[in-house]
Amino acid sequence: MENSTPTTKEFALTRQFAAPRALVFQALTEADRLARWWGPKDFAMVSAKVDLRPGGLFHYQMLSPEGHVMWGRFAYREIVAPERIVFTNSFSDAAGGVTRAPFSPTWPLEVLNTLTLTEAAGLTTVTLRGGPVNATPEERRTFEGHFTSMQQGFGGTFDQLAAYLAKL
Amino acid sequence: MATDVLSLTFSALADPTRRAILGRLSAGEASVKELARPFRISLPGISKHLKVLERAGLVARSRAAQWRPCRLRPAPLKQVSDWTEEYRQHWEGRFDRLGEYLAEIQRPGKKSPNPPKHGK
Repeated sequence: MENSTPTTKEFALTRQFAAPRALVFQALTEADRLARWWGPKDFAMVSAKVDLRPGGLFHYQMLSPEGHVMWGRFAYREIVAPERIVFTNSFSDAAGGVTRAPFSPTWPLEVLNTLTLTEAAGLTTVTLRGGPVNATPEERRTFEGHFTSMQQGFGGTFDQLAAYLAKL
Repeated sequence: MATDVLSLTFSALADPTRRAILGRLSAGEASVKELARPFRISLPGISKHLKVLERAGLVARSRAAQWRPCRLRPAPLKQVSDWTEEYRQHWEGRFDRLGEYLAEIQRPGKKSPNPPKHGK
């Protein structure tokens, strides 16, 4: 029962962590650290490999509580240690390819995520921006416009529509 | 190629005029003329936007009446807002676990590979 009125926050999620930025960045980018927390609760990380550079992958294998094997990957686009990580996230296979989500045919093939890290008074703030994305640069540019438009849209003239959707 | 519902919908929503059209239609049917009124855009201009919205399945035009009223079809929008909610929850969960992990490795007595002594 959270948001009956969608807000501009939908595509930007912010969280504060009581840890220095350098450590949070490590937790977000090192394989053995990612293995300790990435993935749904109760899933076991079976293997995790990170090649941290634009074009490189974080490729991982998880085991669901029911024993299903699941592969996933981050494909890095931009790394600015310890401030910013831009990557697409998708389901994957043993070979590291991009695959459809096992639970939904409409879940986007790849999701573009931008994580931004800032530190103040010993606290690190991580901001996530993201949404579905397609592979070509043109589609990517279009999509970057979409975030803003979705945010402005739902925040402004779209309020009426948002309220209407919330009732469906 | 952007052929899935989500991409088509996002693409249709990328334009402020189209969003305003949808906003107007959420209040009820309207003719092209009525839709054009608040904008400084020609009727053909509005028709172009309507075509994009129709292609994305966001708007339907009736053939029954001569003025062919436009009607909102909310299902794809619903899908976008559902997706957004799912995505948000997914990352809330990830951040919960990251927070737990960071707390655990910084607990006093635990050997931390990166002592977080900041001194303020």
